[in-house]
Amino acid sequence: MLTTLKKYRYQYWPDTAVGELLKKPWMDTAVPVVALMLTVAFFSWQLSGFFSISTVSDNLQQASELGFIVLGMTLVLIVGGIDLSVGSTYAICNVLVLYLIHVEQMPVLPAVGITLLCGALLGAINGILIGYLGLRAFLTTLVTLIVFRSLFDMLQFQWAVGIATHTTDSEAWYYLGTGYFLSIPMAAWAFAAIAIATHIYLTRMRGGWHVMAVGGSRRSAYNAGLPVKRVVASSYVVSGVLASMSGIFYGARIDSSSADTGSGMAIIVLAAALVGGIRLGGGKGSVTKAVLGTVIVFLITSSLSSMATTAGVSRIVLAVIFLLFTTLDIRWFKNRGKAVQELYVTPGYLDLPKAPSTAAESPYAVNDKLHDIELIGLGRVESPEDVILDDDDNLYCGTRHGNIMRFLAPDYQQMEVYAHVGGQPLGMAFDPDGYLYVCIGGMGLYRVTPERKVEKVTDETNRSLFSIADDSRLRLADDLDIAPDGRIFFSEATVRYEMHEWQIDSLESRGNGRIICYDPHTNQTRTVVKNLVFPNGICLGSEGQSILFAESWACRISRYWFDGPQKGRVEPVISSLPGYPDNINRASDGNYWIALMGMRGPAFDLSMRKPAFRRRMSKRLAQDEWLSPNINVGCVVKCNDQGEILEALWDRSGVNHPMITSMREHRGYLYLGGISNNRIGRYKLEKADPNFMQHPRRRGKPHA
Amino acid sequence: MNTTASLLPKEKTAAKIIKLDQQTIVFLIFIIIFIAFSIFLPGFLNTGNLVNILRSISVLGMLGLGMAVVVIGRGIDLSMVAILAVPTALTMTLASTGVDLGLALIAGVALAIAFGLLNGLLTAYAEVPALLTTLATGLGLAGIGQSGILQFDVVPWPDQLNPIEWIGGTTLFGIPSSVISFAVVAIAVSVFLKRTKLGLFIYAIGDNPNAARTTGMPVRPVMVLQYLIAALIAVFAGLVMASSSAVMDTRIYNLSLIYNVVLVVVLGGVGLSGGRGGVWNVIVGTLLVGTILNGMTILNFSYDAQNLVKGVILLMAIAIDSVLNPRNEETAQQGDI
Amino acid sequence: MTNILSSFRKKWRSIATTAVVSTLAMSSVVQAAQLSMNDPERDAYYSSFSGKSVVFVPVFMGLDLTEGWNKMMEMQSKALGYKYQVRNANFNTQAGTRILTSLIHQNPKPDVIVVHNPDVTSYARLEKQAEKEGIFVIQLNMKSTIMTSGFVGGDAVQIGKLQAESVVNHCGPKTSGKVLILTGPTTSPWSVYMEKGYQEVLSKHPNIKVVARQSTGNYDSSKAKSITQVVLQQHPDLCGVMGVWDVTDQGTVAAIKDAGKKGKVFVSTSGGGGTLACKLIEDGSVDNYVSYDVPGQGRDLDDLISASLQAKARGEKPDFHKTALYTPLHELTKESIKKHPCWSVDTMRY
Repeated sequence: MLTTLKKYRYQYWPDTAVGELLKKPWMDTAVPVVALMLTVAFFSWQLSGFFSISTVSDNLQQASELGFIVLGMTLVLIVGGIDLSVGSTYAICNVLVLYLIHVEQMPVLPAVGITLLCGALLGAINGILIGYLGLRAFLTTLVTLIVFRSLFDMLQFQWAVGIATHTTDSEAWYYLGTGYFLSIPMAAWAFAAIAIATHIYLTRMRGGWHVMAVGGSRRSAYNAGLPVKRVVASSYVVSGVLASMSGIFYGARIDSSSADTGSGMAIIVLAAALVGGIRLGGGKGSVTKAVLGTVIVFLITSSLSSMATTAGVSRIVLAVIFLLFTTLDIRWFKNRGKAVQELYVTPGYLDLPKAPSTAAESPYAVNDKLHDIELIGLGRVESPEDVILDDDDNLYCGTRHGNIMRFLAPDYQQMEVYAHVGGQPLGMAFDPDGYLYVCIGGMGLYRVTPERKVEKVTDETNRSLFSIADDSRLRLADDLDIAPDGRIFFSEATVRYEMHEWQIDSLESRGNGRIICYDPHTNQTRTVVKNLVFPNGICLGSEGQSILFAESWACRISRYWFDGPQKGRVEPVISSLPGYPDNINRASDGNYWIALMGMRGPAFDLSMRKPAFRRRMSKRLAQDEWLSPNINVGCVVKCNDQGEILEALWDRSGVNHPMITSMREHRGYLYLGGISNNRIGRYKLEKADPNFMQHPRRRGKPHA
Repeated sequence: MNTTASLLPKEKTAAKIIKLDQQTIVFLIFIIIFIAFSIFLPGFLNTGNLVNILRSISVLGMLGLGMAVVVIGRGIDLSMVAILAVPTALTMTLASTGVDLGLALIAGVALAIAFGLLNGLLTAYAEVPALLTTLATGLGLAGIGQSGILQFDVVPWPDQLNPIEWIGGTTLFGIPSSVISFAVVAIAVSVFLKRTKLGLFIYAIGDNPNAARTTGMPVRPVMVLQYLIAALIAVFAGLVMASSSAVMDTRIYNLSLIYNVVLVVVLGGVGLSGGRGGVWNVIVGTLLVGTILNGMTILNFSYDAQNLVKGVILLMAIAIDSVLNPRNEETAQQGDI
Repeated sequence: MTNILSSFRKKWRSIATTAVVSTLAMSSVVQAAQLSMNDPERDAYYSSFSGKSVVFVPVFMGLDLTEGWNKMMEMQSKALGYKYQVRNANFNTQAGTRILTSLIHQNPKPDVIVVHNPDVTSYARLEKQAEKEGIFVIQLNMKSTIMTSGFVGGDAVQIGKLQAESVVNHCGPKTSGKVLILTGPTTSPWSVYMEKGYQEVLSKHPNIKVVARQSTGNYDSSKAKSITQVVLQQHPDLCGVMGVWDVTDQGTVAAIKDAGKKGKVFVSTSGGGGTLACKLIEDGSVDNYVSYDVPGQGRDLDDLISASLQAKARGEKPDFHKTALYTPLHELTKESIKKHPCWSVDTMRY
């Protein structure tokens, strides 16, 4: 009873949700989002009419004006600089545009153009000094702040009275400042457009990636040949242009110049960026954060004054809130990684049936048949997870360097790189036209054409409806086989871990894996079976309507009917193996070869029934001290369609093939691969069909 | 490899002779400008004017010294102007309402210490960036100054404080006492930084906080201490300033004074990345700014034009340094702004 | 006359703090004395204030001018029972425009906004908009380019004239005739209107040389001090300074004192005539002071607020009456302050 409860608790309670939620990239922005919600909640409670259309559109307009500058500052901060001169640039552009419109009576378009140019020019001064001459950003913009400010003071002194005494009747100018489109002010439209464009640029375009790269690691970016100087310089130019844009909108709204325009602005802008969660030092930041920071800071400042708090109290509240929010954000940033590390691993409950005996009288009886066998490529291959042979008897295997190697028949002495695929090749299969399909860990399903060209077949499947983590990408495509109609069935061992983290997945031993079908006719990839415990080997059934698949940590073999009367059903073939099954392949007598990469032990089996224990272990111990399945000794077994074990092959010495992940029967020989081996074994089979091969090539017309 | 080599004493001196670092460049520029002004500007090179220069920079210089202590320890203190203004104004307000002089002083200094501690604790223990911490505490302190502890934003020097007027409002042998106060603070800070264990700790922490922690230095307490020192210097500078102008305008917080303070410190060659520079650098930076301003005054430049020219000259000084000592992309420190 | 009025008001405040109680009290008096009769205006007068709200948007608080006006407005609001609020721009024009914008858009809107203009144009557009929305806008001391329902304040042109005349009188042909003019923010009313006053006088006196005319930013005393120091070094024979405001000119007189020129440079300034004025005049730092009498302005302001609220109760539109009340100016000297001591916030009465 209790066990059943425990089983259901671990099956249905969403333990993984916390870790997966924390791992989401957007959780990075959690603190500013919560801060914004708190801010809005508090002030909408305190201030009546907080959500009235006029208040909202009025807030939008003014927040947008601030937002332009914060966005510019954000870009500069991301690149790893700082721009303290924004307030002065803003002020100069503000007075300039007013002068052009009022005194020079210029039409709006050229006046705005000249002003933007002026902003770009002022930004370029910073950009050239900091980007190209390599000056320190803080000091330089501090000085340009003073220089631009005194320039502004002189211009304002000259022009202010003129601006005040001349009026303009330009409709366009009036519209820019006080016009609405769909009851949203023009400044807000402009800001939204620029913010979205910047977001796309930063996250989706090459230039934006350069910006992030330069900020993230200037040195690496430089060594990678990125135009570091140009990127740095242009960030200041953009900052200048955005500051001038803000100055224009403010000018159009108020239509007058004042002597204190933009003084102390750098501080508010910087505060907005920091409250939004953008960090000094570069590489960390996004448009979303800039917008959040802007809105928070603006709402707080404007709402406090609407609540008629005195200037002193407003300042104190503002200071406390800045400190509070940024401290929280910094703590969050620091501790999220740790929390993910602690909370991500969530072991499941797995009640394994008793392990069958490997004693002398059992079908699994240990022998030494694999001891004296022929070795191919000794010391020349690393990690041949799977091996396969073609019509001409050439032998193929993957290596951990991202290559598919080919040993040429008949003596397998000569080795060459057949194709460079770029990731660790796992399961392999030939289609009737000689295309070699490969599951590549971390990349997906690829194929190598007979002309040795590497092509991507698929690297994503349909996303599960209620999954928190995006499981559409293939993380660990493991083994495959090809159905008679050309559909390719392949396993993905786990959606929660990378290939090198297989050990953590074994500790979880929950249904993290799935079987996926790629249909070449529709070019669609669909998940067909879900929640499998590390599905590994896949082999087409002898009747051509089902596949056999191995679930490594569950130590069982099942059959999935993809065609025929039982279509869609999954049924057990072997419910308990003495070890962890890996690849499955066909034998010449219509049976199946199964590789066991390691043997079960009672301690690990027991721990599978104690998820809380494993969770404690994962939290309290270093990863290299965790329990791990034994993969030191394995074997190859042969079974029939009913799951009866017919034969077992062992290497008792533990020298040549202690750990086996795959085997392939080909023309009377069994070829052995192992992911931790540096060799391929060749074992002469008695009584085997000397002409058998698993994936014979089709005679006749070639593949479309 | 270069850095380890240059730490050897012999090579260090050799490198010093050849290498023009920022301090040397700024000092050379100062000398050139000083000589040029002495030759071409009548009325520049006389005792009265030189004293004038010193007097005009004494408060800025003192703030610079406090800032330098923090910057050497790889921090920055933007709350110094607020600490200069509000606690001083509090002391003056209390004294004018008849509170005992000693008590009034203690109240002001205690307020300054409280904010110095707050800065230190937030940066050292909560690990909030110094830029933001001190920005916020400065704002908060300015807010406190505006929320009732002072009667007005501008506080005149009360007669009750005349017993301490000598710190900035009088003259000694023809030298304004504010200049003497500056000199005393400079010597004190210099002794502290170069001759005491804690001072050397600040250099070590600024140079590499992690290494300093590994060697067993009390990194966090020392960081708190540096903000405390800055706060104390700021409130002292505030009293000097108030006694010399007979008024404390707390609205000085709204101005760009803090930028000038950072400027003289960094301009003199106290690197913002910490561990470099000293009192001499601050004095050089302050002298350059003071001399330029004084020369332009004699040249009859307007106030705004002076700021403009000052800025351009400073920009040139930084640019020359950058051209002579270009930033190396290979060794540049990440996040060093 | 003023005394009678003020004692009347004082009595009112002492009788009762709420209108209800006072009405009851009065009615019982009426019943007791049959000869008296009900004033037909009274009820309408008092009811016109209920539920009304007035907002004061100063450029700054924490200095004697605004604190004085604020005290006067606050006292009247308590006496007459309407809501009164201060929203401080705190020397930030952008914050000020934000406050005005939100006042115009908020719901319920205030009935009267008393606005202190930082310069002649920044708020002009918003003031016009506020009146269009039915809010009475009363401008205080610093007037924008447009006229709204009301204006209370010193006549800046006249102040400029008075200051200039006193400096001209002092800096006769025997002196250098060099004068420094300190202004507020470039386009502040004090700068542009006072300048007009200065020019009217100075244009008639060619012997006066204006050696510098500079802005002190936001009436910043340390900037005033720096400017004065610079000018004193350039022109050690400076004859006079025309300052913009007593608070700012504390810096000016400090620079003069620092340079050892106290008493040698003639300082003329203006302000609200608070205790600071008396202190500066008494210790000889300021030689000529034009006061625009904050308590008097406070009374004018209260009256205009009262008139606006009554007009609103009658259903009149804001631009129906446009009333400007230029404050009578007093020149304070060492002698005159003995007879009329300077005010402070504590001595103000309603």
